[in-house]
Amino acid sequence: MMPTVTLSNGARRALLLAPALIFLAVFFVMPLLDNSARSFIREGGFTLSRYTDFLTDRFYLGVIAETVILSAAVTAISVLIAYPVAYVLVRKAGGFSGLMIFFLIAPLLTSIIMRTFGWQVLFARRGLVNQWLVNDLGLLDAPLRWLNTPGLAIAALVHVLVPFAVLSIASVLQGVDRRLEEGALMLGASRIRTFFEVTLPLTVDGIGTGAILVFMIANGSFVTLVLLGGGFQTLPLLIYQQFNTTRDFALASTMSTILLMIALACLWLQLRLLRRQGV
Amino acid sequence: MRLSDIALWVFTLAFFIFMILPIAVVVVISFTEAGYAAFPIPGWSLKWFARIFEYEPFIDSLITSLWLGVVATVASCLLGIPAALYLSRARSGWATVITTFLLSPLSMPMIVIGFASLFFLSALGFGISFLSLAIVHTVICLPYVIRTVAAVYRAVPPAYEEAAMILGAGRFTTFREVTLPLIRPGIAAGSLFSFLTSFDNLPVSYFFGSAQTNTLPVVMLAYMEHQFDPSIAALSTLQLLLAIVALVVADRLYGIEKMTVAT
Repeated sequence: MMPTVTLSNGARRALLLAPALIFLAVFFVMPLLDNSARSFIREGGFTLSRYTDFLTDRFYLGVIAETVILSAAVTAISVLIAYPVAYVLVRKAGGFSGLMIFFLIAPLLTSIIMRTFGWQVLFARRGLVNQWLVNDLGLLDAPLRWLNTPGLAIAALVHVLVPFAVLSIASVLQGVDRRLEEGALMLGASRIRTFFEVTLPLTVDGIGTGAILVFMIANGSFVTLVLLGGGFQTLPLLIYQQFNTTRDFALASTMSTILLMIALACLWLQLRLLRRQGV
Repeated sequence: MRLSDIALWVFTLAFFIFMILPIAVVVVISFTEAGYAAFPIPGWSLKWFARIFEYEPFIDSLITSLWLGVVATVASCLLGIPAALYLSRARSGWATVITTFLLSPLSMPMIVIGFASLFFLSALGFGISFLSLAIVHTVICLPYVIRTVAAVYRAVPPAYEEAAMILGAGRFTTFREVTLPLIRPGIAAGSLFSFLTSFDNLPVSYFFGSAQTNTLPVVMLAYMEHQFDPSIAALSTLQLLLAIVALVVADRLYGIEKMTVAT
């Protein structure tokens, strides 16, 4: 006789989760664990030596610092640019908001290669920007070298990431209770004071969530830096180089584990912020 | 208009010029008659679109990318839709943890996922193959399907399904006749996102490059390292056109505002 297995309603529904959970456990978690494990094994035994070597090496410490500082700088610039744009989108745009959202999302759908190509053309030695500056506006005597400068690489990274910041700040601004601002205005606060003492504090958590999102994506990006140069030495770039040329896979595993730790820390911070907002 | 408002609008306009200029320039260059990529262009022509079809690696990789996008999207739907259905009705603390886990591939650096998967899948014997690529692409596409379907289903009142069941419909009939039609816009939008994500992916596909498994972005990157001609612009323009069509379709099906809030 067949044994009859009775499952409660809840347990049966939980089976719906099984395929996705098993798939990600095998093909997402296992590869990452396997990769990290490789950095802890040397000559068949467990070792922390790669990490102690890595974290005491001035060059590699510099790489970690540069990765974090570059991502933080790109994030700060993106948020500063995004806030006014998000404010216009939510409060002022009216009938234009659909168009604005379209032009925010359309770039998200273009490939990194396309945008990089655009930057290369615009900022080439005889490119549009140099022609404007030298011939049309007469601001410069000779064309400037833009390509392979840190500034252009940062601008290109901001270009990739700023739409994410605008969209997440806009969704928080939308949730601000306008009556609180009206109250402040009625009680005699100026518009600027109302903004800094009411609107901005109410959106700080949202800015935080958006900033972490941008920071996380910035931390992992390398295609822009490979194609536009700028002389940065970041963890993703070094992993890419290790894979391509040096082929020290254990070192690459060590670096990707450190990069993963930074990503997990960001994810944890993001969850804490979201919980505080009660989303 | 107040002075501060004018300043805000000027800033916003400058922002959109910054956003659109590098992309618009590439679109214009794809129609150039010149043999080099420069702006402004000396004259108009469609020859760089023809060049795409003459260069075999472009076409081969385009076919690989299209198939890959379809396979990863179908797999993501099969795995993701049931999970999304469960999670949007669950209320326990566990459900939040599981949702976070299922969406976490979005937050991990792509280069680490690609690098780690190459070694892991090679050890399993999959090697550098279309199957390996499809598996890794499913990992990164799955969260998009789960997120969009869950967002749509959460907005569906349970009363519809309860009514069907009370009127005697079985579990499966209820799903096919009530639930599925209601979540179809979410499935469509999630699938579009998933397809576009796969189609555009470079950091993961890069690690699985070979003559048989090169995707379009990988071939474009390799091409750009040696040549700087407008055929890359023409390809990019085609890709953008595809994405915009998909975006307009998704907007009709699902609403563009909802997509941005879900981010």
